[in-house]
Amino acid sequence: MAEFRLPSNSIIGPGKHFPAPEGATNTRTVKVYRYDPDSGKNPHIDSYEVDMDSCGPMVLDAILKIKNEMDSTLTFRRSCREGICGSCAMNIDGGNTLACTMAIADIEGDITIYPLPHQPVVKDLVSDLTNFYAQYASVEPWIKSDTPAPPDRERLQSPEDREKLDGAYECILCACCSTSCPSYWWNSDRFLGPAALLASYRWLADTRDDATGDRLDELEDPFKLYRCHTIMNCATVCPKGLNPAKAIAETKKMLVQRRG
Amino acid sequence: MTNAYKIIDHTYDVVIVGAGGAGLRATLGMAAQGLSTACITKVFPTRSHTVAAQGGMSASLGNMGEDHWNWHMYDTIKGSDWLGDQDAIEYMCREAVPAVIELEHFGVPFSRTEEGKIYQRPFGGMTTNFGEGTAQRTCAAADRTGHAILHTLYQQSLKHHAEFYIEHFAIDLIMVDGECKGVISLDLATGELHRYQAHTVVLATGGCGRTYFSATSAHTCTGDGNAMVLRAGLPLQDMEFVQFHPTGIYGAGVLITEGVRGEGGYLTNNDGERFMERYAPNAKDLASRDVVSRSMTMEINGGRGVGPDNDHCFLNLMHLGNDVIEKRLPGIAESARIFAGVDVNKEPIPVLPTVHYNMGGIPTNYHGEVVTLKDGDPDTVVPGLMAIGEAACVSVHGANRLGSNSLLDIVVFGRAAALRAAETIKPGSAHKPLKPEDSAPALDHLDRIRNASGATGTAQIRDTMQRTMQKHAAVFRTGESLEQGLEKMRNVVDSFDDVRVEDKNLIWNTDLVETLELENLLHQAQTIIYGANNRPESRGAHARDDFEDRDDANWMKHTLAWTDERANVTVDYRPVHMYTLTDDCEVIPPKKRVY
Amino acid sequence: MSNLRSPLSQVKGHGSAKEGTSHFWIQRLTAIAMIPLVLWLAFSVASLPGMSQVDIRNWLSAPFTAVMMITLLLSGFYHAKLGLQMVIEDYVGNHGLRTIAVIASTMLCVFLAILGVFSVMRIAFTA
Repeated sequence: MAEFRLPSNSIIGPGKHFPAPEGATNTRTVKVYRYDPDSGKNPHIDSYEVDMDSCGPMVLDAILKIKNEMDSTLTFRRSCREGICGSCAMNIDGGNTLACTMAIADIEGDITIYPLPHQPVVKDLVSDLTNFYAQYASVEPWIKSDTPAPPDRERLQSPEDREKLDGAYECILCACCSTSCPSYWWNSDRFLGPAALLASYRWLADTRDDATGDRLDELEDPFKLYRCHTIMNCATVCPKGLNPAKAIAETKKMLVQRRG
Repeated sequence: MTNAYKIIDHTYDVVIVGAGGAGLRATLGMAAQGLSTACITKVFPTRSHTVAAQGGMSASLGNMGEDHWNWHMYDTIKGSDWLGDQDAIEYMCREAVPAVIELEHFGVPFSRTEEGKIYQRPFGGMTTNFGEGTAQRTCAAADRTGHAILHTLYQQSLKHHAEFYIEHFAIDLIMVDGECKGVISLDLATGELHRYQAHTVVLATGGCGRTYFSATSAHTCTGDGNAMVLRAGLPLQDMEFVQFHPTGIYGAGVLITEGVRGEGGYLTNNDGERFMERYAPNAKDLASRDVVSRSMTMEINGGRGVGPDNDHCFLNLMHLGNDVIEKRLPGIAESARIFAGVDVNKEPIPVLPTVHYNMGGIPTNYHGEVVTLKDGDPDTVVPGLMAIGEAACVSVHGANRLGSNSLLDIVVFGRAAALRAAETIKPGSAHKPLKPEDSAPALDHLDRIRNASGATGTAQIRDTMQRTMQKHAAVFRTGESLEQGLEKMRNVVDSFDDVRVEDKNLIWNTDLVETLELENLLHQAQTIIYGANNRPESRGAHARDDFEDRDDANWMKHTLAWTDERANVTVDYRPVHMYTLTDDCEVIPPKKRVY
Repeated sequence: MSNLRSPLSQVKGHGSAKEGTSHFWIQRLTAIAMIPLVLWLAFSVASLPGMSQVDIRNWLSAPFTAVMMITLLLSGFYHAKLGLQMVIEDYVGNHGLRTIAVIASTMLCVFLAILGVFSVMRIAFTA
């Protein structure tokens, strides 16, 4: 049956408190999920009082400040800090998003930060996305064309046909969508999840690709595709404002339409 | 106190370090040619900083008006302020056309013209007819060209079953008698060390933007390959040339593409004046980046900046209209909204010149092979070592890179490296066994940092370094300020003896990784500021207030900088290649650079 | 605990079952069919002269009513079978238990559908 309780080794215990530096008047409390694989101990929540007068506006600024000034062992992924690389996806204030584009001012009360839900945790906020990446690779997200490309120039594509890729090619593989999808929580071993299905649709929608039929054949499966119940969490959380659910609906439409 | 680390051994024909655009293009090229290939990367490939490139990739396709690679070559040489090697520039501009067409065939979702061809936009310094008109040469996928290219290259690598070692941090090269034999990496997920033996190691590790406080570069842009080369006793070239992008968002430092000005956006000062008309009467806002950054800095220093502190400028695109913004610049609208709180349809974006790109790097020839000055020969190839992308200094960008030439650089030279490797390496040929002492320096290095138990935090030293560089090696430089900077940097480097790594574990130890990165940054920062002080002229991005003119007689040469263990810098020089590869074009002799 | 099978191999699993669209499509068709059928049922029952067994038997024995009722039962239980299967596959993690539950729910739906159809026919033909 569905599991309603955390396994005993995942139950979260109390953690350390890091007070604000002396003289700080404008502080916010940041509560962060900590898990240290080397210690073998259960995870815990550490709380940090961060001085907002010397902190940047985004949640990433706050956790960088914690790492730089309060606790250098705090572990998380980050890179571009402008919402394009997809490294700093985490669960902030109850929703999956990128720490670098989430403004602290938009959060009321304490700022709670957890790793992406329903993924194995490697350490602190770093989750293991191996299955997510394998699912992306499994949809063979590259151009497949038996039509020889012109030797000395580009394939032609009308601006209208190119427009069909808008909303599909901009995915940054941050995994916010898939890890917010209840269907994915329940069946991530077989359901491809919104991100991989969006990647698949990006090629279904590309007029330069010849493999639409094969791609649809591969997707036609009660689990790979049809676990999507249009819960729409994917579209709600996507930090790039994309709508994977719509892409999935379009894919289902293509599957129905080719039958008659 | 060497710990017995667990080491896992691998042998490959080639190992690529870095999975940005250059690394991926080389990886898939080499894998496709039947070489056994591994790519080591400290972040998942699509998180490399190529993903943040916006405006586009230059190539003289001529889709939007007449164009020729000769004109592109002229623009690039002029942009480089005659410090670029003309044989390499010829190679890049000529290969640009097949390179971009190849990318389209790989599936990059370029924006399109009405005829269905690749859309091209104007960019700074790109002209027709040797400086006469404005060229539309920059191939774009809206304002997400880097993202489109990087994801496509990763997809192609998946297709070719390239082997990746993801979230592995490269520690050091394995050098035996001046030859590169492989590389050692730390697997972040397990804390295990991996030793790769290879006939060729390709460094595609990007630039070191994070030597500065305010940079458009990602946190991961720490030039690790450059530092590995320095530790291997080899020089970096032209490190004093650091490009400031004119339009980083004020405060956040986030990049706003030059494509905004390509599409018709312009800069204004406190009086609402389009001041670029004064500094560059012909090209105006589309002058090359060093020129625009200097002009902005002069406006600000002259008290004509905008904002409460008169310390930045405005980038206006309100007049472009919703349609152009939505179709061509959607990502910019998003960035401006998030990081500046600005609706670009109604308000200008506050911008400031921000560190963006290292023209300098590991000296290579146009095949991507690393070269060094040895026994008087400035083009001595280092066996077994290649470098491509921002990590390399071919040098196609010379003293200043033109916008959209960097996506071109990574693809062309990533491909060139793959072609060269296929030529020089016999797939599956045997390796001479490594001796344990060959990898000892790397292990000692790791051990030293891992057990660093001083009193100063990594972040504190990094912050001092970044602020020092920002203040003393900025858009405009003077001998006096550089001297002060050198002294401060000496103290910063010395303070690294007292560094402390708090986290002693090996699994996902980012404290350790950041400290290794900081050490890498320190050595590169030294080569930058030393080189800047050492070069008494103004050329491209290196602008000296005390030496305002270019000095071709004495300084039309590349700086080579070595560092020792204490990050003391020594320099020597390589001549600029003032010859072309073929007779299809002529050498462009130096002349005064006006836009 | 550790799984030594490669991630891609795990994801690719058994490949594609090449079905699922029928399930998806018929679930929607039966749902659409249920809208007029249920409305008809509600209005018909509301407009009955009385609710005694005789009233109901008389109403149900009319050919049109019987055909509508059988359509409603078939469509309803088909929809229920498809829906139950979806819910079980979502919530029941254990694969053995999942298979048993799907089989049991299918059998129950088929049994109830046959029972309903048989009852309507009996009334229609014996009234």
